[in-house]
Amino acid sequence: MTKRAVTLLVGILLVAAPCAFAQQKTITGTVTSEQGAPLAGVSVLIKGKTTSSATNRTGNYSIRADVGQVLQFRFIGTAPEQRTVGAEDVIDVQLRRVAMSLDAVVVTALGQTTTQRALGYAQQTVQGPEIAQTQRENFVNALQGRIAGVDVTSTSGVPGASSSITIRGVSEISSSNQPLIIVDGLPMDNRTLNTGLLASDANSNTALSNRGIDFTNRAADLNPDDIETLTVLKGPEAAALYGIDAASGAIVITTKRGQAGGGWRYSNSFRIEATRAKPQLQRVYGPTTETGGVLDSLQYFGSPFPAGTVFYDNIDGFLRRGFTQSHDLSFSGATPDGKINYRLGTALDRQEGVVPNSGYDRTNVTGRSQAQITPWLNTDLSMAFTYDNNDQVYKGTLGPLLDLMLWPQTDNAKDYLTPLGARRQVTGQAASTELDNPYFNVAKNKINAKTNRIMVNLGLLATPFSWGSLKTNLGVDSYTNQNLILRDPASVAGAANNGVLDQADVITRNLNAQTVLSFNPHSVTHDISISGLLGHAISDNKTTTDAMVGTGFVDPNFVSMNNTSLRTPRATLEQRRVVSLFGQGVIDYKNFWYLTVTGRNDWTSTIPVERNSFFYPSISTSFIFSDAFPAVGRFMTGKVRAAYAEVGKDARPYAYRAALESKSTSFGGYGYGFWGPNPALKPEFAKSWELGAEVSFLNNRVGLDGTVYRKVTQDAIVNDVRGPYATGFILFNLNGGSTRSRGLELTLRATPIVQPAFSWDIAANWFSAGQIVTGLPHAIPESYVSDTWLYGNVRNGTQVGLSTMSLTGLFYLRNKDCKLLIDPTSGLPIRSSDFIDAACGGRPGYDRQPDFTIGITNTFRYKRFTLDFLVDIRKGGDVFDATDHYLTTHGLSMMTLDRDQPRVIDGVLRDGKENSANPTVNTIVVVPSVQRAYYTNMSEELFIERDINWLRLRDVQLSCALPQGFLGSRNASVFVKGTDLLLITNYTGLDPIVNGNSAAVGGSGGVAIDFGNFPMPAGVNFGIRMDF
Amino acid sequence: MNRRPAALLMSLVMLASGCTDWLDVNTNPNGPQTVASYVYLPPMLHWMVTAPQYDGRFVGRYTQEWTLPGTSLSTWDRMGYDAASDNGAEQWRDVYWSLGQGLIDMTSKATADQRWDLLGVGLILKAWGWQVLTDLHGEIIIKEAFDASRTSFDYDTQEYAYQEVQRLLDSAIVLLRRRDGAVDSTYVLKGDHIYSGSRSKWLKLAWGMKARMLNHFSNKAGYDPAAVMAAVDSSFTSNADDALLAYPATSTDFQDFNFWGRSRNNITNYRQTRFVLGLMNGTQFGGVVDPRMSRMLSPSPDGQYRGLDPNVVGFGALTTTQRPNNFFGYSGTSGLGLPARYIFSDRSKIPMMTYAELQFIKAEAALRAGNAAASWTAYRNGITAHFDFVNARNRDDNQSPLPITAAERDSFLANPAIVPPVGSLTLSHIMSQKFIALWGWGHNELWMDMRRYHYTDLVDTVSRLQVFRGFAPPTNLFPDNGGFVAQRIRPRYNSEYVWNKAGLAPIGALALGYHTTPLWITQP
Repeated sequence: MTKRAVTLLVGILLVAAPCAFAQQKTITGTVTSEQGAPLAGVSVLIKGKTTSSATNRTGNYSIRADVGQVLQFRFIGTAPEQRTVGAEDVIDVQLRRVAMSLDAVVVTALGQTTTQRALGYAQQTVQGPEIAQTQRENFVNALQGRIAGVDVTSTSGVPGASSSITIRGVSEISSSNQPLIIVDGLPMDNRTLNTGLLASDANSNTALSNRGIDFTNRAADLNPDDIETLTVLKGPEAAALYGIDAASGAIVITTKRGQAGGGWRYSNSFRIEATRAKPQLQRVYGPTTETGGVLDSLQYFGSPFPAGTVFYDNIDGFLRRGFTQSHDLSFSGATPDGKINYRLGTALDRQEGVVPNSGYDRTNVTGRSQAQITPWLNTDLSMAFTYDNNDQVYKGTLGPLLDLMLWPQTDNAKDYLTPLGARRQVTGQAASTELDNPYFNVAKNKINAKTNRIMVNLGLLATPFSWGSLKTNLGVDSYTNQNLILRDPASVAGAANNGVLDQADVITRNLNAQTVLSFNPHSVTHDISISGLLGHAISDNKTTTDAMVGTGFVDPNFVSMNNTSLRTPRATLEQRRVVSLFGQGVIDYKNFWYLTVTGRNDWTSTIPVERNSFFYPSISTSFIFSDAFPAVGRFMTGKVRAAYAEVGKDARPYAYRAALESKSTSFGGYGYGFWGPNPALKPEFAKSWELGAEVSFLNNRVGLDGTVYRKVTQDAIVNDVRGPYATGFILFNLNGGSTRSRGLELTLRATPIVQPAFSWDIAANWFSAGQIVTGLPHAIPESYVSDTWLYGNVRNGTQVGLSTMSLTGLFYLRNKDCKLLIDPTSGLPIRSSDFIDAACGGRPGYDRQPDFTIGITNTFRYKRFTLDFLVDIRKGGDVFDATDHYLTTHGLSMMTLDRDQPRVIDGVLRDGKENSANPTVNTIVVVPSVQRAYYTNMSEELFIERDINWLRLRDVQLSCALPQGFLGSRNASVFVKGTDLLLITNYTGLDPIVNGNSAAVGGSGGVAIDFGNFPMPAGVNFGIRMDF
Repeated sequence: MNRRPAALLMSLVMLASGCTDWLDVNTNPNGPQTVASYVYLPPMLHWMVTAPQYDGRFVGRYTQEWTLPGTSLSTWDRMGYDAASDNGAEQWRDVYWSLGQGLIDMTSKATADQRWDLLGVGLILKAWGWQVLTDLHGEIIIKEAFDASRTSFDYDTQEYAYQEVQRLLDSAIVLLRRRDGAVDSTYVLKGDHIYSGSRSKWLKLAWGMKARMLNHFSNKAGYDPAAVMAAVDSSFTSNADDALLAYPATSTDFQDFNFWGRSRNNITNYRQTRFVLGLMNGTQFGGVVDPRMSRMLSPSPDGQYRGLDPNVVGFGALTTTQRPNNFFGYSGTSGLGLPARYIFSDRSKIPMMTYAELQFIKAEAALRAGNAAASWTAYRNGITAHFDFVNARNRDDNQSPLPITAAERDSFLANPAIVPPVGSLTLSHIMSQKFIALWGWGHNELWMDMRRYHYTDLVDTVSRLQVFRGFAPPTNLFPDNGGFVAQRIRPRYNSEYVWNKAGLAPIGALALGYHTTPLWITQP
């Protein structure tokens, strides 16, 4: 097919005849800021043409133009300027920095740029340097707080941890809510490895089910230093042009290109990290029982420690100081005639985490070159290679954090081996029951992933005609991700199988081709002009996973599949193809009223062929009232906008047909898998509306952008819905989910002070949203993603009327007045035997969605110094502290210290009168130390902390420009930066930003389920940047 | 025509025509949609034998084959159940899912190909499913089953289930007698690792299952002991006919390991009961110690054989060396990788039905029919056959106990406390010895026997001898029981109580004490 696309393209190019060009002259000049500093990278365009140039490091440009043509100077964050070419050969321009400008140039879908005024929907842009400056290896983590409506959750603070992004909340109940990532016009795979691909996951005894383990989300392969701009398209308006994968929004990244006079640039950064993980454990009560001096378990409900007992601070000694260094070297330049430019870059990151044996190394090599081959043909080739090597540690009961907590504090955990070099155990429990020693755990168990990735993007821009242009991008995103997951034969996770070694090679090959025919604005009347585009896209995504699990280690220490005595292979092939046609038309009335209409039709391979073609339209409009009514325009500039869009979404591959799978029971054979057929599967649809306004005052120094939106998802495909077994199957992928989302986004930008020596910029983002489930397939009572049932009896279950971010569990039973029902024999509260919502009376159920979030960035510049910081504030949203529940059931939590204190649980007896007018009030005295079920059978709901707020200082940086000529450089600056230095929260656990699973899990996932997870460490960075 | 527009046109035509084919990549390449008919067989045979063992962990506590000592009395030891749990409903899963649609596919293919032998095996599997399911749960879903488009399912009566089992078995018997069409044992044996495609053995199994089924009617007016005896006589003729499944123990996920083996770790913490020990250590049989005791049960570290009282929490007053070893023969949880005992080794074969069982069925029917001589012979055959069975199972995986010698066996059989003279044999002898022969694997039938005799029925009012000698229901019944003993297991929680309450309500299964409602088959 790709071959056919090329044939087509070549055909079109051949048809086009080269045009003649008028006599031109060369214009040169310098572009500066209002503070007089030269501006590099300002684009200089000829209005109505595709000819362009850009300023170099010293702000100089040169461009060939005709007399009478109009030069446009555009630089993001400034008001654009225009100059008509006259007799002069030199045109110098000063650009004015503005907080918000309707004439600012913005990147929109499909690599198009337009002015802010024409946009009928919300989008927001972050500059590349702002992202690179955060010194986050994974650029996704740099986005939190910088864009209204974007929520980033990192799984943990371990290097290489996956991060999930949601834009405008969670509207999918079981499938992915992550946006599409577009790099230079084509999609970039951002998958996080799902353990379902591992051979060990086929069996429930060895399955990891995305619990206790994590892998990097693949977008982290992108070098943050290569990003020029990053634009977030928030609503399904994005999908109107980007298609079904952008149903949850799109992140559009443009990478850096070469600049004339660019030269060498070297920058580095060094970071020292320390963790906040300082959990408190009780040191009063000793272990539960001992037989012959050996502990029976790692429970601490025994008699008090004798006076003078020596305690070890095992936690403190275990975690180390993390050290990270990164080096970035690039070279960019252009030929004197500006026809060819190039940028070559390489970057090296080496990260050692605060947990021993965790680390993330990454090497990037990129090369990008643009060339004007003929007057009507431009090429743009970019190639990016990434290698990364990630060592993570387990979490949850398999991980070292709980190991550290449960290990007897009276024992030095550092002695983790017996004199003969074997695992030292401290209880009489089996090796598969006693939690590992933390040192043993990180020394023996491994999660390693190595990735080699190459992304190639060839762009061809043809402008043979005056009325438009034809742009084609052909891209390959191809990577090999090699995973090795070891559960040591002596470890708690591996002992039952005498070692479990998983290997999985994931080979992904995504091909994308996209051709867009753009029509330049064409004046219909004096006041009205129209423009538009037609496009065609093809994508062919294929992932092959060759996985194998080996158990029964022959030699206990040798790590190789060859050393296992039982092996099971598993091959998984996943392929999806999509073909699309799309178009857009824009009507521009007097430059103050715009109407944009789009339509897109997709054909997908994952829906039965009768319904695999689906069309969805969008319409948006923007009205610049300050231009329409000049009387208003004297005080302010402003526009209002409105948009309506629909978007379809397909299913995951192979979702609607039942398939057989080979069985490992006696003598093999085939039997059906869990999933039943659903020949009626159809695409789901979302409809969204948004209304917004942008206003700015005081000569654009203060700008406010507000958006309200509402989105309704219908016929949503809910994956893995359980049904009665009499269907012959266990799970189904069904249409029938529906959700409703609404929210408010506000962005305030201001430049209160601009003086030659001192300036202050501020940007604040507000986001509040809510999403509820309005329907479930077949009226099933509850829908949940089973991987999120990772601790106790709580999971991300949702029901009609609940938030998409709710939690259900075997919570306490209550009477009609919401009083706890008490067991008349034990005096303890009775738990539900069904998964229920915790709502009772006026008290709502659990919702992990915050009430609102605020991100505030301040930037101060004083002479050579720049200080900026980002404060991230969240109000509300529930977090499940499973770690604390676990510690409580093991008698280690501080709340178990009053265990000898008799108490009567407030509630009513379940004696048949509990719902009568006069229920029997509980008077049964419970002494927890005697009745241990008080702790061990405690409902997890006591540990789901409601309304968690935080204020965190995400980034604070002070940088200083060094005098010119420092070490022979043209420009140089040094910086010192703090990352995640300060956290103020009412959460009692370690860190409320946490994911109990990984970014691979769909729906609301395991976000805000905190179980044995290392928090984000605090870091101090320093480094230098030099241009030669 | 200019070459360039032609090229363009050609490209567009190629694009449009290729699109439909190009999008056709949605056939799952990771597993076939359909396979040769014999390929469906191995997993279904595996589950027919193995699924009852999964549920045997729980049923075996109702029948007091074993008990699970812990820090408190377990729900099942109190004849209760686990809330919000699928425990005790593995056969529900396997009948509807593991066999389910695959069995339908296999029988359709066998029908189309005129493979009457394979079709007969398929009908046996189908009959087995409804039989075990109705015996465990009573009312079950049959008529509406296997409709993937339904969202709720109505239950059918147990009477209907029994009619359906009989129809399926009679059909299987007809089919397995046929030699026409594409009947071919060399084809069936590729998937049949129980009988290697032998049509005659499958035919005997069908008769055996019919004997089992007819025998369940002992409380019903239509009970026909002669028909039971005739069915037994058409079935197994020796231990060579036993329906045994082997466990190769080669898979990383332990799925092809014996469910009871130490590697699977399913009964490591379970211990033998006082009841089963009493049947073998002489307590119930006039002081005669059964030679099988030391080959089936486990001694305590001090060498003595003890059984636990399910009414006592944990090990009660027993000291460490007095606590019975686990079923592998070792103390505590040890025994991994070491030789085990009886059917509790990783590679021990597990039967679905044995010659010994059928002989006890015949003995029971003959006694009820008044044919004392036939009953005596069948009873003696049953014991003898089980001795051979015990020795064979202790050889499957080179287990530790030494074989029972012929002399030991003969002296045991010669003892009138075990084999009384013709005419003195009672149901108590038969059912108690049958209990020993089915102990550890025949949970479904043992529980059916106990329910047929209402757990504690007496042989007669004079001797006051119980049919099951020494059996006593738990004294501390589960609270939801309302003082009644267990009669059925609630339908599978994660299938029915979560998603099919509409089907449960009409049969009363939403009541707390539903599991104490007697079955249709055990009532007059």
